[in-house]
Amino acid sequence: MAVSSFLRNMRQAGGLLVIALALAAPLQAQAQADRVTTFKDDKGWKLQVNGEDFYVKGVVWGYSPRGQNYTYNLWGESDDFIRKVLDYDFGLMKAAGVNAIRSFSEIPPEWVTYIYREHGIMTVINPLMGRYGYTIGGKWVPFVDYSDPLTRETLKRDMVEIVRKYKDVPGVLMFAFGNESNYGLSWSSFEIENLPEGEQNTAKARYLYSLFNEVIAAGKAVAPNHPFTIVNGDIQYIDLIAEYCKDMDVLGVNAYRGPSFTNLWAEVDRKLDLPVVFFEFGSDAFNARRFEEDQRSQALMLKDQWQEMYNKAYGNGEEGNSIGGFVFEWRDEWWKYLQIENLDKQDNNASWSNQGYLFDWAEGKNNMNEEWFGIAALGLPNSDGVYEARPRMAYDVLSEVWALDPYDASKAQINAMFASMDMALYELKGDVRQLKADNRESKRWLRLTGGDIRGEFALRGTEEEIRIDGEDAVEFSDGQMLFVDFGFQPTEELEGQFSLNILGNVADKRPLEFTYGDRGLPIVIDNATTEIQDVDVEPVIIADRERVEIYDFSANFRGKHADIEAFYHTPRFHWGYEGDFFGLVREATDISGMDVWNAKAPEGIEIQGKGAFEGLTLLGGPEVYWGANPKFVVKYDLDLGRVGLSLIHSEDVARLGQGAAATQATERQSRQTTIYAEAELFKDVKLELGGIMSATEKVDEIYTRLGPDGNIYKDEIKFEDTLGFKAKLTFPVFGAETYVSGHYAGLVADGGDPLKTFGVTDPSRLPYSGLGNKQEYEAGMMMHFGNLMIYPRLMYRDNFIHANPFIPPSIDPDGTLNPGLSPRDRDNDPFAVLGNREARSAEMFFTWDPTGATPFYDWDNEWREDAKFAFNFGGTYTEFPTPTDAYLFFYEPSGANASFGRGLPAEDVWALSSRLVFNPTQRSRYIFRLVRGFDQSTGNPDGGTRDYFELHGKALLNRRHLISGYFLKDAWGPYDFYRQFNLTYPEQYKLDYAYLLGSPGMLGSKMDEERATRIGIRGILRTTDENSPDEEYLDGLNDYLFLVVVYFTYRF
Amino acid sequence: MSHTYGTIIGPNRGRLLGTALLVALGVLVAGCQGEPGPNDGEVINTIVLPTDTLVNLACADVGIFTEQCVLEDPENPFVTVPIIEFDVNDPDATNKFELFSSIPAGRTGAKARYYFWATALARRASGENQFYTALALHELWNYNGDPIIQAQALKAYRSVLDNFFGSVTVFTCCESVRPPDDPRGPIPFPIGLNELTADNLYRTDATGYRRLVEGDPLLVLEVLLEWGYRYRPANPPDYTDGLVFVNTG
Repeated sequence: MAVSSFLRNMRQAGGLLVIALALAAPLQAQAQADRVTTFKDDKGWKLQVNGEDFYVKGVVWGYSPRGQNYTYNLWGESDDFIRKVLDYDFGLMKAAGVNAIRSFSEIPPEWVTYIYREHGIMTVINPLMGRYGYTIGGKWVPFVDYSDPLTRETLKRDMVEIVRKYKDVPGVLMFAFGNESNYGLSWSSFEIENLPEGEQNTAKARYLYSLFNEVIAAGKAVAPNHPFTIVNGDIQYIDLIAEYCKDMDVLGVNAYRGPSFTNLWAEVDRKLDLPVVFFEFGSDAFNARRFEEDQRSQALMLKDQWQEMYNKAYGNGEEGNSIGGFVFEWRDEWWKYLQIENLDKQDNNASWSNQGYLFDWAEGKNNMNEEWFGIAALGLPNSDGVYEARPRMAYDVLSEVWALDPYDASKAQINAMFASMDMALYELKGDVRQLKADNRESKRWLRLTGGDIRGEFALRGTEEEIRIDGEDAVEFSDGQMLFVDFGFQPTEELEGQFSLNILGNVADKRPLEFTYGDRGLPIVIDNATTEIQDVDVEPVIIADRERVEIYDFSANFRGKHADIEAFYHTPRFHWGYEGDFFGLVREATDISGMDVWNAKAPEGIEIQGKGAFEGLTLLGGPEVYWGANPKFVVKYDLDLGRVGLSLIHSEDVARLGQGAAATQATERQSRQTTIYAEAELFKDVKLELGGIMSATEKVDEIYTRLGPDGNIYKDEIKFEDTLGFKAKLTFPVFGAETYVSGHYAGLVADGGDPLKTFGVTDPSRLPYSGLGNKQEYEAGMMMHFGNLMIYPRLMYRDNFIHANPFIPPSIDPDGTLNPGLSPRDRDNDPFAVLGNREARSAEMFFTWDPTGATPFYDWDNEWREDAKFAFNFGGTYTEFPTPTDAYLFFYEPSGANASFGRGLPAEDVWALSSRLVFNPTQRSRYIFRLVRGFDQSTGNPDGGTRDYFELHGKALLNRRHLISGYFLKDAWGPYDFYRQFNLTYPEQYKLDYAYLLGSPGMLGSKMDEERATRIGIRGILRTTDENSPDEEYLDGLNDYLFLVVVYFTYRF
Repeated sequence: MSHTYGTIIGPNRGRLLGTALLVALGVLVAGCQGEPGPNDGEVINTIVLPTDTLVNLACADVGIFTEQCVLEDPENPFVTVPIIEFDVNDPDATNKFELFSSIPAGRTGAKARYYFWATALARRASGENQFYTALALHELWNYNGDPIIQAQALKAYRSVLDNFFGSVTVFTCCESVRPPDDPRGPIPFPIGLNELTADNLYRTDATGYRRLVEGDPLLVLEVLLEWGYRYRPANPPDYTDGLVFVNTG
């Protein structure tokens, strides 16, 4: 015992020493930085590190766990966890003979050195240099214009800064810039557009390569001990590279030419006379023809490629310019296809075609499967929480290849080694590993993919109950819930997933919280007193309610002529960026919001045409977005040269039987047809035009109005009232992105949700409405001053017919009816003036965001924002000079809508808001949101306009402690119906503390916040007054109500 | 899904295309109408209520939940009239019963009452509106003897039982407990509409009209049985103890 204890202590001490040395490395870095050079003589080129020959045996490395995508940041995890990941991955790599990596993420210097010192593997520093967008002058530019002087200056300055940061870091092999940047010459400029079409990209490429050389020259002045290169897409523009990139030391290339690189060596030798390193090459391990994993084809492809590379290396009598390469890639990444969907399963979709890969190529079909390029598959997490790499056959083949040093072996020896490789043995090893993995995961027909177990204990009480009954009045309840997730793939073409939800007890937290699982709470059908007219009546309670339900489901079928997706309660996006100018198909991503009411939207089927049916989309189902009537939607997109056209027809086939979100009114069955055209007239000048024909079924329906002469009129809807038109022009003014739009809509020309500039996270409170009966004008200008954006917007709207006042009807004694007039509603009248009422609105928002790569208004900014400090501040002021008609709400007992009877009065409303994000360290984050406003309800006019304040906050400490909560004063309750019924509370408090237990490597994303393993406690307190719900205020008897919940969630 | 919009073309062509689209939009917008003109619509400051008792049913199920065709009946004087439902949160506010009570009593107001309640039912599906629609049809038949109206009245009563069995309507009482000058007003109490429906069918005193199921009152019980209900008739003197049961066997 004593000995083993001693050894354990020594091991721990040794480990600590290694860590200390590694972390102290940057302090000593200057003294230990490597000197990497190229060498050339008449036998060819070599790369040398500190004078020693170094043939690059590399892989492209990244760490993306299942369920994560490009947003995952390993470097934000704890040092301990990072070390576990690196030791696991690089241990396997080292065993195979890997000596260098290329990574898309910027590996912090201390970890570059750790990798080098611990595993002997060097790193290429590869800033992407604006390939996927860059912040220029404080503004995020998705398609970088390399001809723009400010862009060039910014990129050059930043790239040199990165070089300066890494130049003395031990373990740095070389500096490379871009990633196939020659394939991303997508920007447009007036000067270039005046060139003939065929020359436009060449002109852009000149700017690109001249900038590359400027950056390289400046970088070499800073870091003379390292080679500099670019990451080019194949050898496209090689003549321009020769012309412009005079200072480049090595040509870096991504090459996917199949088993041979063909004439690449000779071309580079002839035109550049530089050594070649491949930054990407290889093969996917999925056979798109057989539709199954194909380790053998991948391994054979890599074997052929490496054999050719070795033959082309120094001293073999050929070009001699091969200095190695980085196989793409180390391990599969499950986010590559679709990028934000299906992150916890490996997609089999091939997304591009390459005839060089004959083993699965077929005419007219894609064969490159982005999620299957790893020489190791993405496995399950090990006991440390590190996702395992399951080596494929290619790993074993390359291990033998990399065991040979091409500089130590003759050409004959090299080729003999390749000829003698026992591929059958390696295939068997790969198959065995795959079989074991399959056994663990039960792949194919039906497999368990995960789930979670949740438990909670709730204490609930009110001041009045406690006053009467003391502590006995505090109600205790407990709840348990199980989610089980399954994936299935019964055929090659069909795959999908579904989740089951199983309830145990259900904790009753209402009215403070409505949560998913409330379906299991008992329902009291009749709580009558014990006797009605001498007949005893017992309360009827249904206690044993739905305990098991399908929580969500989706399935995809890939056919020859169409892809079909069936969806049930899985998130879906709007079509606003795809020609749906009037917002007919609304976004349905608020799954947790739907869960509160156990709503199961979206539900339906989407069919996307292929081949001859390309551009055609059919969507249909019982509720294709939350609150939608059962409907089908047909959409057809076509290109007419520079003009894109979209035609959409939406037809309701029935009316939704139940209101969405508890009391949201259902809508009458209707139809819409729209046409949309988009054209870029000049650089950055875009014109969008759209027309709509809506609700033609309402033609001839009667409505009333009060004429300017004081008479009451009865009128009918005419065909013209169904038409609407909309135009939007986007153009630059002194560099500011500016837009003006006009929207004319007849009385019933209703569309759907208008699209805001920043989508669902747009802070705008302009009174957008999709309803008709209006002429509406809007303008905005997005101005950038460094990292500061100022965005003023204006809106003006008038109605053709205003809301009806209430004039009571009466009947004279002679039998004459004075019919009076009442506010319209959308059930009993063909139209009603609601959110579309006359408005004059102005707004201004200031946004400070120094890190444009994580845009402040992106939907996932809450998890991705990496600026030390970013914030916005702004406000909106709106005059509503006229009242509305009457809003409707869904009245559950009658199963139909009911009207509030009267409309909201004319009012001037305003709101100020600010959102602040602090990232003091990589592992801590604070987010606050403040709102001060003066606004009306969304339905009930009683109670008047509310003056309210909100403070919401969230703090993530050390990526383990999550604290969130709010303080609301005179604000509506947390669910939509509170505002609909104008129910507010003097004060509302919520505080939630959760300790995130893991799994390690899975923290710091939206998914984690919702589903990570955790234990926590939450408290909610509300005080009441006469504006609060009657059953909570109790005519002043009850001052407050509270809820305390202790909860845990275990995810597996 | 996303689509790309073709390749880049010269700015002149773009200008032409944009101009053409703008012109097309201008032409379309110019062809539309916005605010109503001075000659649009019909002035309806007053409407003379019908005084006859002949009713042409607008459709087969008019006056029966869920049919709303009465709102398209050109003879309906209440199509545009606000019929204000009782508001439990504001019980003193004007409601439909005030307008209803202004309709002339007796034969001359019977048709108007039918349209009033059928309109109320079409706008708000409630047991109360269905019950009073049935009662109005019952009254109409009492005056015109039209067998079509008789059948419609029976359908309307049955709809109360089928669709609104548990619904109630509210009456006020009782001077013995709270006198008329009590500032708190009369005492409201609910009565089940199923009882009232059966009572109206069974007992002529309940409505003052002829019995819809002509002949022996026991035939009413048979009709109710056919509909799936059993009725234990109310007893004098108050006739408040009638009970309607749903046949379960």
